[in-house]
Amino acid sequence: MGNGSFSRWHFEKRETTSNLVLVMVPVLSVVIGLIFTGLFIALTGKDPLEVYLLMFDGAFGSAYGISETIVKSIPLLICALGLSIAFRMQLWNIGAEGQLYMGAFGATWAALTFPDWPAYQLLPAMMVAGFLAGGLWGLLPAIPRAYFKVNETITTLLMNYIAILWVDYLVVGPWKDPKSFNFPISPQFTEGAILPTLGTSRIHMGLVFGVVVALLLYIVLNYTRWGFEIRVSGESPAAARYAGMNYVKNILLVMFISGGLAGLAGMTEVSAITQRLQHGISPGYGYSAIIIAWLARLHPAAIVLVSVIFGGMLVGGYSIQTSGFSSTTVSMLQGAILFFVVGGEIFVNYRLVRGEKGGK
Amino acid sequence: MKLKRKYLFMFLSILLILSVAVVGCGGGKQASNAPAAGSGDKIKVAFVYVGPVGDAGWSYSHDQGRQYLVKEMPNVETTVVESVPEGADAERVLTELASKGNKVIFATSFGYMDYVEKVAKKFPEVVFLHATGFKTANNVGTYFGREYQARYLSGLVAGKQTQTNLIGYVAAMPIPEVIRGINAFTLGVKEVNPKATVKVVWTNTWYDPAKEKDAAKSLLDANCDVIAQHQDTPAPMQAAEERGKFGIGYNTDMSKFAPKAVLTSPVWNWGPYYVKTVKAVMDKTWKTEQYWGPMSDNIIDLAPFGPMVSEDTKALVAKKKDTIMKGQWDVFTGPIKDQQGQVKVQEGQKMTDKEMLGFDWFVQGVDGAIPSAKQ
Amino acid sequence: MVEMINITKRFPGILANDRVSFSVKAGEIHALLGENGAGKSTLMSILTGLYRPDEGEIRIQGNPVDLQSPRDAVAHGIGMVHQHFKLVKPFTVAENIILGLKGIKEVYNLKSIDESVAQLSREYGLHIQPDSPIWQLSVGEQQRAEIVKILFRGAEILILDEPTAVLTPQEAKDLYKTLRKMADLGKAIIVISHKLSEVLAHTDAITVLRGGRSVGTVRTKETSEMELTRMMVGRPVMLETVKNPVNRSSKVLELHNLSALGNRGQFALKEINLDIYGGEIVGIAGVAGNGQRELAEVVAGLRAIERGQKKVDGNDLTLASPKQMIQAGVSYVPEDRLGTGLVPNLNAMENYLLKGVQKMPSGFINWKQVAQETAEVIKKYDIKVPNPKNPVKMLSGGNLQKLLLGREISGKPRLIVTMYPMRGLDVGAMETIRSLLLQERDRGAAVLLISEELEELFALSDRLAVLHGGEVMGVVDPHKTTFEDVGLMMAGKRMAAHG
Repeated sequence: MGNGSFSRWHFEKRETTSNLVLVMVPVLSVVIGLIFTGLFIALTGKDPLEVYLLMFDGAFGSAYGISETIVKSIPLLICALGLSIAFRMQLWNIGAEGQLYMGAFGATWAALTFPDWPAYQLLPAMMVAGFLAGGLWGLLPAIPRAYFKVNETITTLLMNYIAILWVDYLVVGPWKDPKSFNFPISPQFTEGAILPTLGTSRIHMGLVFGVVVALLLYIVLNYTRWGFEIRVSGESPAAARYAGMNYVKNILLVMFISGGLAGLAGMTEVSAITQRLQHGISPGYGYSAIIIAWLARLHPAAIVLVSVIFGGMLVGGYSIQTSGFSSTTVSMLQGAILFFVVGGEIFVNYRLVRGEKGGK
Repeated sequence: MKLKRKYLFMFLSILLILSVAVVGCGGGKQASNAPAAGSGDKIKVAFVYVGPVGDAGWSYSHDQGRQYLVKEMPNVETTVVESVPEGADAERVLTELASKGNKVIFATSFGYMDYVEKVAKKFPEVVFLHATGFKTANNVGTYFGREYQARYLSGLVAGKQTQTNLIGYVAAMPIPEVIRGINAFTLGVKEVNPKATVKVVWTNTWYDPAKEKDAAKSLLDANCDVIAQHQDTPAPMQAAEERGKFGIGYNTDMSKFAPKAVLTSPVWNWGPYYVKTVKAVMDKTWKTEQYWGPMSDNIIDLAPFGPMVSEDTKALVAKKKDTIMKGQWDVFTGPIKDQQGQVKVQEGQKMTDKEMLGFDWFVQGVDGAIPSAKQ
Repeated sequence: MVEMINITKRFPGILANDRVSFSVKAGEIHALLGENGAGKSTLMSILTGLYRPDEGEIRIQGNPVDLQSPRDAVAHGIGMVHQHFKLVKPFTVAENIILGLKGIKEVYNLKSIDESVAQLSREYGLHIQPDSPIWQLSVGEQQRAEIVKILFRGAEILILDEPTAVLTPQEAKDLYKTLRKMADLGKAIIVISHKLSEVLAHTDAITVLRGGRSVGTVRTKETSEMELTRMMVGRPVMLETVKNPVNRSSKVLELHNLSALGNRGQFALKEINLDIYGGEIVGIAGVAGNGQRELAEVVAGLRAIERGQKKVDGNDLTLASPKQMIQAGVSYVPEDRLGTGLVPNLNAMENYLLKGVQKMPSGFINWKQVAQETAEVIKKYDIKVPNPKNPVKMLSGGNLQKLLLGREISGKPRLIVTMYPMRGLDVGAMETIRSLLLQERDRGAAVLLISEELEELFALSDRLAVLHGGEVMGVVDPHKTTFEDVGLMMAGKRMAAHG
């Protein structure tokens, strides 16, 4: 070639991406996120290592910490599993947060409508109602996406706000607890509407849901026709159509299930944790779940693992405050990790090479 | 394929924006911790705040009280957890604080009530104090101040200042605490200006500067020229200042944030109460109670007046304050009519504490509605 | 002025340019002629710095250059007008021209830019108002705005990609007038096209590309339509293909008065009547873009039928879905092998399953069985799959096509629709595909073979239908027809069927 002395850095598309790269990119992103945030912590005159150790200790250092970490990871897990199906089909569902809220709404409706039902009736009813409500909320943006190619990223995102405000409206209005002195919360659920917990801890049956869903998802995606269709549809809609798969139907179904699972997460939160509907039942679980699904490369088992790590991060975040560190450290750490994970994506498909790009 | 890539790009962009937003929102300040190095028995005391310490309002006022406590009692070691939502996280934070050896825990927001109750059962040797609540137990007390007294006085100032006879009130949640404040304020306004009305807007949040500001703006748009607030940040005051109007702050002296607007602010002074309570716990003389401190306890007061407040007004406020301080008169003394004009409190009668703690109606002169649960 | 010497560019599975040499002089309008997929766009993308060649050299004014990016190309005076204009609609012409231009100050004087744009426009007879917003302009005017934009950036070498595709005949004439003027002023003009008549009428030299290779460069004055056609579609060298005599059985595919819309809403197929019998190969000849893709898609059920009727084995399947067509025994080897026919990121096993998955009785996949079947196909057709776990995008073009065709014939289909099955393949792979198609025919399947290579069509087809403008110009017997006749039909002449 004409000029061999040129040696600029540039990106080159990878022909293939090895599993090592797939694993290392998220891991390195987390590490860089830790270092980056650590720099800021150091700037405030604290020892980043100490902060991280305290966080770890708060989240995993005691039986109570571990139990709370698991509690925190349950909604993250279920939401992230739901998102992973949609992402696999390259449907960018940003709406898990809203779908979670709608699920909480559906479950609360069942809990308030049939307060006298025993648990074995009421809990399944709440699960179904929560799944349906979340699923329909996911289905709504899927319809314009399937038929008119309306970008679901925007619609799902915006619908989050509608769902959150809808729940706000319910708890300040029609569903406000008459005994709450006007504080915007729904009446407390009756005994039958509360998911059983493990011993005295707050670990509840939602954990079982999460693990079962992860298992089911693994089987469905790898061993069933429908799971295969989703993978093909995600990789190449043209090939899916060509192979006689119903692409449109699958979009609708996938978004319904994705939303339904987020809705189930909402159900577990109101049933087991808050035991009533109220403002702010989710401090952004639906958004964190996006990072989790992404970090876990949509693999169900990895999602379980990453959810627990994220749950630990959130629990540890409050925990370090009791040792005098700012709560914002964790927000920053999460943000930094997300930033580097998304930024690091380029290395999955490209590699940085120096100098001339020749033939192979 | 091209379309897909476009989606992916948009998806990634939104993720990036979200990530920046997450970082951006976390702009709060580091809670300061003052480990005690004093002599004598050490005691660990914890505080749980609903907002960040830097809210310049409610949580900040409690943190001022905490700092006072540390200064007065060097053997007290305090721990702070800020920005704890009134939800599932509160339970864990309280549990963790209790299990880490804190002997006294101050939970400073109404929504922590159920969680305080739950956690207190598990830690009978720890004393929990819940601000603004009403549920007590052997090891759970509640505390608050009769802020309505200061509200009433600030109402006098607002009533004198308004030109349009429309006063805006940015209110957090329709709970008795807030309703009581609005009523007291309105009675003050009406005392000096019977033609004036107090317009109420609910934000349904304690702490959300943007929402608070928007609410204030909507009131200013509706021709209100004085803005009062029951919120945790000075944002409504800043909105008033931007429009060249006036305001009545809350929690702390908010004139720092809007010097041209703030007439005065009902301010909290939690320090003495915290010292007294911690001392009582250490001396083992503490007993559960529902403490509701009057102005004469100095737990609540009015901040210094802004330069725009007339001497007349100041004198009037001083006179009224005097009668309150001496216990000769209290705000909710009849006759008081509700919004429909019905007499709710007969002439010469005084509302009981129980009635005031369960306030669910507005006095005459309030323009606004309490969202009702019975629909 | 520009020389491209022995340019080779590979993409996964495709050899897009194979030692292509090409040169243009100043003052010349040079056409780059070839069918779709002949490698024209790749070659020009290399010249504009979008791709870098795997081998070969580019010289400008005799000096070797290394074009690492489009910016480098612009710096060397190379500019391109794309088929789809890259203009910001709400901006004015002048604003579009300075958009993204380096060396413009933060605060710039739009007036002075307006003036120089107006001057350029006068100089070359482009007639364009610098201050008109783009959305107000006609397509022809927008194209001129693109040209001015390139000239403003100091282009000496202008490349136009299918410039007349979007223009009316009058606009096209005006465009060539402008191009001539620019050539006279010393610019070198490269026009990418597949319109023979236009190229013959307006250019100085023509380079023909076919299958990624350069067939040759001719002076426009010294060539004819016939010669160019031959260069484009291949020379009449009959290949020695041993073919059993045709043994037709019953009608498999019947198309009656069938019309269908193209992607832009126009009729791409008009009143097609075509029957294909079991045991025969029917070839479809035609210049690309005359309805071939639509025909294949209609038969495969991927494109809706507007009017008319489609039957397979006597069953009316006019409204059938792709799935129903597959179930009816219709296989389809699409033009887009990697992306439609095969999924690039899935492995060979998963790709083999792509269609078979519909037949899994329980809805569960028996991977063991799939692996076994895939291994059989791989062995049977000698497909070189280094690692069956790797995504198929790593396979070469020939192996991809063998895998694809192997899958499509594994279910013993009634009808095989195949589009450009030999494009871009090496000789060995071509031979395999060829014999596989003949085997299927001899087995009794009906084969619809769409190709742009006449020699291939002549060698394989038992009957040959020619498409032009979405209509069947005639169905002929390739053994009794000449290349010239078919060429004329491809150009739009109707022939009486004698097949």
